[in-house]
Amino acid sequence: MEALRGIDLDLPRSRFTAIMGPSGSGKSTLMHCLAGLDQAGGGTVTVAGIELGSLDDDALTVFRRRHVGFVFQSFNLLPMLTAEQNILLPLELGGGRIDEAVRERARTLAETIGVADRLGHRPAELSGGQQQRVAIARALVTQPDLVFADEPTGNLDSTASAEVLEHLRRSVRELGQTVVMVTHDRDAAAHADDVITMADGRIA
Amino acid sequence: MRTVVRASLRIHARRYVAAAIAVVASVAFVVVIGVLTAGARAGFMENAGAPFRGADHVVEAPEDGPEPGPPCCPGTLDLSDAIALIDRLGDNASGLGRVDLPAYREDGTPVGWGDFRGGTTVGPIAAAEELRWQKLVAGRFPDGTGEAVMHVWDAQAQEVAVGDRIRVGDGASATDLEVVGLVVSPTTWTQASMYVTWPQYVQWRDRPTFHVGSIAVRGDVGPVPEGMTVWSAEQYVRNGLAGLNNDTDVIALMLLLFAGVAMVVSALVVANTFSIVLAGRLRDFALLRCVGATRRQVLGAVQREAAAVGVLASLTGTLLGVGLGYGLLPLINALAPTTPLAAPALPMPWLLGGFTVGLLVTVLASGLPARQVVRVSPLSALRPETTLDVRTATGRARQVLAALLLLAGLALLGVAMIRDSTALMVAGGGAVFAGVQLFGPVLVPRLVRITGAVLGPAGRLATENAVRNPRRTATTTAALLVGVTLTTAVLTGMATWRAALDEVHVRHNPIDAALTSLDEPVGTDLLDQVRRTAGVEQAIAVDGAVARITGFGAPLPVVTAPSAAQVARDGGSFAQVEPGTIRIDLDAFVDPGVEPGDQVTVQVGDRAAQLRVIALTGWGQAAVVAPETLARLTDTPQPRVIWVRASAGAEPLALVEALDGVADAAGVGLEDRLQAQAVANRERDILTWSVLGLLGISVAIA
Repeated sequence: MEALRGIDLDLPRSRFTAIMGPSGSGKSTLMHCLAGLDQAGGGTVTVAGIELGSLDDDALTVFRRRHVGFVFQSFNLLPMLTAEQNILLPLELGGGRIDEAVRERARTLAETIGVADRLGHRPAELSGGQQQRVAIARALVTQPDLVFADEPTGNLDSTASAEVLEHLRRSVRELGQTVVMVTHDRDAAAHADDVITMADGRIA
Repeated sequence: MRTVVRASLRIHARRYVAAAIAVVASVAFVVVIGVLTAGARAGFMENAGAPFRGADHVVEAPEDGPEPGPPCCPGTLDLSDAIALIDRLGDNASGLGRVDLPAYREDGTPVGWGDFRGGTTVGPIAAAEELRWQKLVAGRFPDGTGEAVMHVWDAQAQEVAVGDRIRVGDGASATDLEVVGLVVSPTTWTQASMYVTWPQYVQWRDRPTFHVGSIAVRGDVGPVPEGMTVWSAEQYVRNGLAGLNNDTDVIALMLLLFAGVAMVVSALVVANTFSIVLAGRLRDFALLRCVGATRRQVLGAVQREAAAVGVLASLTGTLLGVGLGYGLLPLINALAPTTPLAAPALPMPWLLGGFTVGLLVTVLASGLPARQVVRVSPLSALRPETTLDVRTATGRARQVLAALLLLAGLALLGVAMIRDSTALMVAGGGAVFAGVQLFGPVLVPRLVRITGAVLGPAGRLATENAVRNPRRTATTTAALLVGVTLTTAVLTGMATWRAALDEVHVRHNPIDAALTSLDEPVGTDLLDQVRRTAGVEQAIAVDGAVARITGFGAPLPVVTAPSAAQVARDGGSFAQVEPGTIRIDLDAFVDPGVEPGDQVTVQVGDRAAQLRVIALTGWGQAAVVAPETLARLTDTPQPRVIWVRASAGAEPLALVEALDGVADAAGVGLEDRLQAQAVANRERDILTWSVLGLLGISVAIA
C-alpha cells in the first residue's frame, strides 16, 4: 500500500508551513520522509541540497543532527538531563565543544523563549508548556535548515498552545528559520504562512 | 554523550543494584578463594615449607624404589651422596636432617626431661643467610664447630642461657658446644632442639639416627647420583601443599566450580537487569536516535554504563573478597587446625583476575540487551505515548530456531530416558530451556491470556495490561524462568550430590562413634550409660581381645561383631569378614607400617594367627575378624569396644561432647565420625545457600 502518491512539494526557506489533513491522510509519513526519519520508496527528497534517498542510516542520522530540528507532541525531553543539557544535546551528539559561547547562545535562546529561569530543572519539574518551549530551544540550537513540529500543541491547553505557536512564528520571523508543522488543529494552522492540506496520500 | 551517560548512571543507578550485587558477590567469591589458597601456601611456607623459602631447588629421595637412607629413617637420602653433594655446592646448599644425641651440662647433669632426659636433637643450620629458616631471638648464629644455637623453648625449659656449654654426644664423638644464640624455628620434621654448622653436624654421621632428609639448594643443582630427585622449589611446595591435606585441593576445586556457577548466574542476572532497565528506556534511545545519535553512539553509551557498573561492582567485590578472605583465615584455623593458614601477601593475580572477570561478565552480559535497544527506530520517539518495541527481522528465524530447539530437546529427553544417559538429559533439558526462552515473546502473552480468561473481567483487564508490551512481558518472564530453573536445578543437583555423598559416607563410615578400651573390658554399666546418652539410637558392646599385630607399635583390639547390623550404617556388611583375613581401618592410625594385602601376624597372649589385611574405613582403632578367627586367638573374648549409632535428629557436636564425658569418666578412648560429617555438611550448606542467594537475586529482579 502506498502512503504517499504524486507529491510534488517545494518548501520555501524562512516560511512557516502547516501540513493539515485527517488521520491517515499521509501527513506524518510525508513529514518523516522530509525529516530523514523514513525513506520514500520512490521519488526524491532533497533538503538543503542533500538527496536523502542515497543516504545510509548513519548518514541520515548525521543529516538529522545537522539540518533538522524536532518538536514533538509528547515533548520528548530526556528525563535524566536538565533543561539546559537537553537544549545542548544535539550539539553534544555532534561532538562539538560545549564552550561558554555555545552556552551563552543556548541561554539567549532560552531567554527568548521564556525558560531561562528553568534551565537547571529536569523535565519532570517543568509544566507541559515549559517542556515544549525547551524542546523548541533544542530544535533551534543547531540553527537547522528545517524545524519539524509534529502536533506540537496536541498535549497543551489553549494558553500554552498559543505561546508555543507564537515562539515557532517568531523563530521564522526573527531568526529566519524554516518551520514545517503537522497538525489537524485549524487554529494552530492559522499561525502558519502557508497551509498544505492532504487527503489519501495526496496534496489536496 | 558523556552528559547522557553520567546523567543516566545517576538516575538509573538504583536499578542496577541487583546486577551490581550479583557481580560483587561473584568477584568476592573468586577473591576469597584466592586469599585462602594464598593463605594455605603462606601457612605451608611458615611451617613445613620454611626450610625451602630461599631455595630454587629441593633434592629429595625418590618416592618409589629402594630406600637409599639409613635404616632409622625411611624416605631420606643416601648419606655419602648427600654429604658429597652439599660439599660440592658449598654455601648454596642447606642440608636438612636431625640426629639424636646424649647431652649433658658441664657439671654432668643430664639435659632434657622425661623420655628425652639426657638427650637432645641436633640439626644443621645453613651457611647462607637466605637459606636459614631459624629466626634468631638472642645472641648470634654459630660461626664454626664448637658453637650452637638452641631453640628458645628448650632453652627456657632447661634454663640454658647464651654462653652456657653443653656436652653433646658420647665417646669419641663427644663435643662441647657453646650456646651462642637462641632461635625459634617452625614445627617441621626438621625441627631440632639445637642447631649447629654443617661441618659440626657431619661429625656425628656414624650415629644411628643421623640422616639428611632433603637438601635446599640455591641456583642450579647440577648432576645428581641415582637415588636423588630434584624438584623446583615451586613444584616441591605445590606437592607439599597437596600432600598436606588432600581435602584442601578438593575444596578449592569445588569452590572454583561454585565461583564458575556464580559467574554464570551473575551473567544472567546482569543480562536480565539490563534487558529490563533498557526496555524501560526505549523511548529515550529512540529520541536520541531522532535528534542525531548514531547507533554506535547509543551502543557506546550503554556499554559505558555497563562498564561503570562493572568497574564499581568488581572493585567493591574485590575489596569485600579481601576483607572476607583475611577474616576467614583465623576462623578456618580455629575450625580446622590441621590445615594451618597464614595471612598471605595480597594475591595480586587473583585480585586482578577476579576484577577482570567481573568487569568482562558485566560488559559482555549487557552486550546482547544493548545491541537490541540500538535497533530501536528513531520514528518511535514520535509516536505519542504508545508502547515501544524492538522489531527485528530475525523474528521468524528466531521462531523457527525455537521450534527446532524444542523438538530436538524433547527428542533428546526421550532418548535420555530410554538410555538413562545424563549427558543427553542435560543437552535435551538445555535445548528445551533455550527453545522456551526464544518462544517467550510469542508464548508468554498467549499463556497470560489463557490464564486471564478464567479470572473474569478483572482478570481480562490485568491480562491486557500484562501483554501490552509482549517483549517486556517476555523479558520479565524469561528472567523469572532463568532464576527459577536454575534454582530448581541447583536444589536438585545439591540433593543428588548430597545423596551420593551420603551413600559414600555410609560406605566409608559405617559406625558413628566408637568407645575403645585396651586396659579393661568395657562393662555393662558403661554400655547402659552410653545407651542412655541423649542422641544415641543404639549402642552395642563388641567382643574381642587385645592383640599385637605386626606393623603396629601399640596393642590393638581384635573384635568380631555378628550383631554389627544393629548399629552399622551399612547394614553391618563391613563386619562380615572372611576367615583368614583381618579388616583394619587404616585411616584411624598415623602411619602404620602395614599395607592392604600384607600378611600380618596377630598375637593374643601366646596364640598367634597369620591373616591377610583388608583395608576398609570407618569404625576406628579396632581390627575386625571372623568369629572363627577370634576363636583361634582366644577362648575368652571380652567386650572391648562399644559401637554407637546416633539417632536421626541428634545434634552431632552435643552428642560427641556427651559421649566424650562418658568415655573420659570410664577411662576409655572415643573416636567419632560425626564431627567431620557435621563440618562437611556445614560447608556444603554454606555453598548451597551462597549459590541460592545469588539465584534469589535474579528471581527478585524478575
